[in-house]
Amino acid sequence: MPDAAEEIVPVAARRPWDLSMLGPYFFILPAVAVMLAGLVYPVIQAFYLSFYDWKIGTDFDDAPYVGLRHFIRMIGDEDVGESIWVTLKFGFWTISIEMLLGVSLALLLEKPIRGASVFRTIFILPLMVSPVVVGLIWRYLFDARIGWINYYLGQIGIEPQVWLGDADLAFFAIVFTDIWQWTPFIFIIVIAGLQALPSEVLEASKIDGANWWQHILYVKLPMIRSILLIALLMRLIDVFRALEVMYILTGGGPGRATELLSLHIYNRAFDTQQLGYASAISVLLIVIVFFLSYGILKMGNPLKEKADI
Amino acid sequence: MAARQINNPLHVLGHYAALILLALITLAPIWIMVATGFKDDVIVQQKEPIWFFFVPTLDNYEHIMTRGKFDRYLWNSVIVGTVATFLTLFLGGLCAYALARTEFRGRVLVANSTLLVRMVPPAVLAVPAFAMVLNFSLDNDLAVLIFFYTALNLPFAIWLLFGFYKQIPVELEEAAIVDGATPLQVFFRVLLPLMKSGYAVAGIFTFRIAWNEFILALLLTGRTTRTLPVGAAGFITDTGVEWGRIMAMGTLIVIPPLLFTFFAARQIISGMTAGAVKG
Amino acid sequence: MSYGLMKKTTATVAAILCATASFANPYEKFEGTTLVVSWPALAHFSAAEALVDEFTEETGIEVEIDALQYLKLRDRQILEMSKPEGEYDVVSWVVMWKGEYVSKGLLTPLSQFFTSGSLVDPQYDIDDVAGAYLQNGGVVGGKKGYMPGVSGALYGIPFGAETSILAYRKDIFEEQGIEVPTTYDELAAVMTKLHDAGIPALTSRGKTGHQVTAGWLLHLAPLGGKIFDDEWNPVVNSPEAVKAAEFMRHVAKTGPVGIETFGFGEAAAAFLQGDAAMHLDTLKIAAMSRNPSLSKIDGKVGYALHPVGTRCGSETGGFAMGIPANAPNREAAFLFIQYLTNKAGDQRMVELGGDPVRISTLQNNTEGFDDYPIVAEQLPCADPDWRPLIPEWNEINIDVLGQALTQVITTDDPIQPIMDKANEELRAIMEREGYYTWATYRAAQ
Repeated sequence: MPDAAEEIVPVAARRPWDLSMLGPYFFILPAVAVMLAGLVYPVIQAFYLSFYDWKIGTDFDDAPYVGLRHFIRMIGDEDVGESIWVTLKFGFWTISIEMLLGVSLALLLEKPIRGASVFRTIFILPLMVSPVVVGLIWRYLFDARIGWINYYLGQIGIEPQVWLGDADLAFFAIVFTDIWQWTPFIFIIVIAGLQALPSEVLEASKIDGANWWQHILYVKLPMIRSILLIALLMRLIDVFRALEVMYILTGGGPGRATELLSLHIYNRAFDTQQLGYASAISVLLIVIVFFLSYGILKMGNPLKEKADI
Repeated sequence: MAARQINNPLHVLGHYAALILLALITLAPIWIMVATGFKDDVIVQQKEPIWFFFVPTLDNYEHIMTRGKFDRYLWNSVIVGTVATFLTLFLGGLCAYALARTEFRGRVLVANSTLLVRMVPPAVLAVPAFAMVLNFSLDNDLAVLIFFYTALNLPFAIWLLFGFYKQIPVELEEAAIVDGATPLQVFFRVLLPLMKSGYAVAGIFTFRIAWNEFILALLLTGRTTRTLPVGAAGFITDTGVEWGRIMAMGTLIVIPPLLFTFFAARQIISGMTAGAVKG
Repeated sequence: MSYGLMKKTTATVAAILCATASFANPYEKFEGTTLVVSWPALAHFSAAEALVDEFTEETGIEVEIDALQYLKLRDRQILEMSKPEGEYDVVSWVVMWKGEYVSKGLLTPLSQFFTSGSLVDPQYDIDDVAGAYLQNGGVVGGKKGYMPGVSGALYGIPFGAETSILAYRKDIFEEQGIEVPTTYDELAAVMTKLHDAGIPALTSRGKTGHQVTAGWLLHLAPLGGKIFDDEWNPVVNSPEAVKAAEFMRHVAKTGPVGIETFGFGEAAAAFLQGDAAMHLDTLKIAAMSRNPSLSKIDGKVGYALHPVGTRCGSETGGFAMGIPANAPNREAAFLFIQYLTNKAGDQRMVELGGDPVRISTLQNNTEGFDDYPIVAEQLPCADPDWRPLIPEWNEINIDVLGQALTQVITTDDPIQPIMDKANEELRAIMEREGYYTWATYRAAQ
């Protein structure tokens, strides 16, 4: 471990090069190296693989180079288009409903009450449960034959539905599951945001005679705008990363009705074993996600904050 | 106005009623899982749901404990979860500290790319990771999973720990150094006590991923290295899903994250909100 | 430790005493070896676990079973088999993968063992194994590569192999006054009749991908359809294939709720739990219906031949066992396969609730197994060209047909255009993989 005393000496970089400047790099390099090898290198390799037609079970060295063939195929591939469309649709419905529900619940229930911590504990449970388990639980509940949802719908006179076998219903099922899992998250961060608002400002607007609605619309919501925007972007990126729950719940079916882009890549790679083609679609996914991440970066990266020197 | 709302007993009642309803909706599926794990197959297969009043059986638990490779899966999950967590905390802590305390060439680059790589979708890792495992015959090596889970968690851990380090006044460290403390002493006596909850949050979040992750584990593990989620998915058999057993397994998988939630809910929430709220 | 050492010493002493290279028993040489077996998590195979224990007891060869969901087996096995030294000594594959495995050089030809006098039990009698099973699961390299024929070579022994038969609920048929259908027209009429009476008729697989295609293939062969003609031209939009798709839609409309989500397990469960009157798929349903932990309908099930359309053609599917080229213990692996599939092993499988692969076993067990005579009668009809077992089959199966047929059973869209589109996609795949190179070459000449 380098001398910590050197850490806190301002490294103003007046001198062109100095051993003490190496200090921070010793701290940073191990983590950076792992991230480079475990996250950046695979991305580069995905890019590389997308130019080859490699099949599992054969030597990669024997894989034929196919140039841009995978990318050309991708442009005309309705299935890829459809899974992007499904992803966007999924993102639209889940995020807007979760936002609406989460924010309104937070506004309604923001007042500190007795037992708040108990409720909060309960609300974060769905996020701690393994995605595999979430998928399994809902697969059981949505089951057409023994599922509980069909039973209770039957009680109120609704015919049993094949939830996971009909394109629209299966899509509804994955949206519903996602809402169950993530609405509490929005709820909690919005409540935290609301409670962190400076009380003077809120008091001031009350004195101005704003009614409850105006108070929310013109004072509170604008003040938590940046929280909402970051939450929205994070969720949107999550939508492009999600596959585990869907993998268990529907496997992407029926047809490709619930096959989000990540799952599509996975299925292409390991169900039909088109590793090269799946890599080409990965490249597309990376581009999309980086584009979205750039948005978050624009919102301000806290890591860039100046060091306390 | 708001003050009047909260004092009105009806409003308070409504407030609680709404929260309780939400809590029930949140808990119901989890309870159904736990209950199903204690039901025999006849009850599971019947169409009428039974919430509470059935004769519980331990058959499902007995089956997964004795007939499968539960002990092996559990051991693998524990190893992967703990090693990946400690590795992430150690490496991430070092990096976060340097980012929080020093200026150096490339700092902005490191900061920005850390945020960017945090978003890399696991599906993108799948094919290259699989190729790597294939090339080096690593599929029976837990190190592969540990490595990828560490990489996947580092960005968030760094991000989180950075925030916590920033909250500690530099003066404390300076004072300790003036008093003649060695760097190690500074870390263990001054920083660590203050960083405890920061490391706890980062640790819980890392462990959560390493313990729960499924898709990479499915691809990158072999017979001897399978983790619990992969083992659980094994009960989706070709003769149908063995609901009782799979729910019992699910219950067991959920226990550690559940314990964390109960004992460290406050820290978890601070971790979740750190990104959005602290900005 | 010391016990093992003692055994080893005893073995050595025994070997010296014998003073020849031969052993007192064929297993002795492999005592203490641990075989790793990869096979599916199907009822037949879990029943076989007891037989595996008996094998270990008798031979001293330890066995560790790695049971996975059958559609997940292939990834795992290919990964394992493409390493320099693999972990699996025995792999059990769905017959449709054998072409891919052999083309990638992943399997050991069994002739290596069948020519070894110390390994092969002279009483094994491979000719007793049902020909259709053996050819479909084990032989690669005849006509069309995956088909049997004089140029083929043996890579696997069927275990958990199957053909399709019709299972029906005797009680429901009696109650409704229905005759057991023998043709597809009769079957369709029975389905309508049952449905009109409020009884879900025929259960089927229907989940997107492999499953729905398997459901359709069951009707394609008897209705006279095929996937490819002899020149590898796809013909899934032929009148016969469209008729099979129409039939599939009829199945979904008159069958139990949820066919669109059924894999093999769910489809079987619907029948076994009494939610469907008929099951027209693998013969495995018979053993499952006798298993009280799976079935509520034991004793109520009757069996009949797979109905005939324009021809008689039942499925050839299920599993075969073989030995990876990189298996660490290949000879012991052969002994294991031989033990499970010899006459005694086959008989034990019947007792344990599995499915036999030998003709003699089918003939020797007539009491209490109503399905066996039917299976024996059905087997000659089993179509070895039931589906093209080419390496591209997975993509065709899952990406093309699996998608098209989902559209068939979940929508009311006209069927011909759906199958036309699938046919075009299929052709594109075959074109890409070079199947028309010869035709183009000949045309150019």
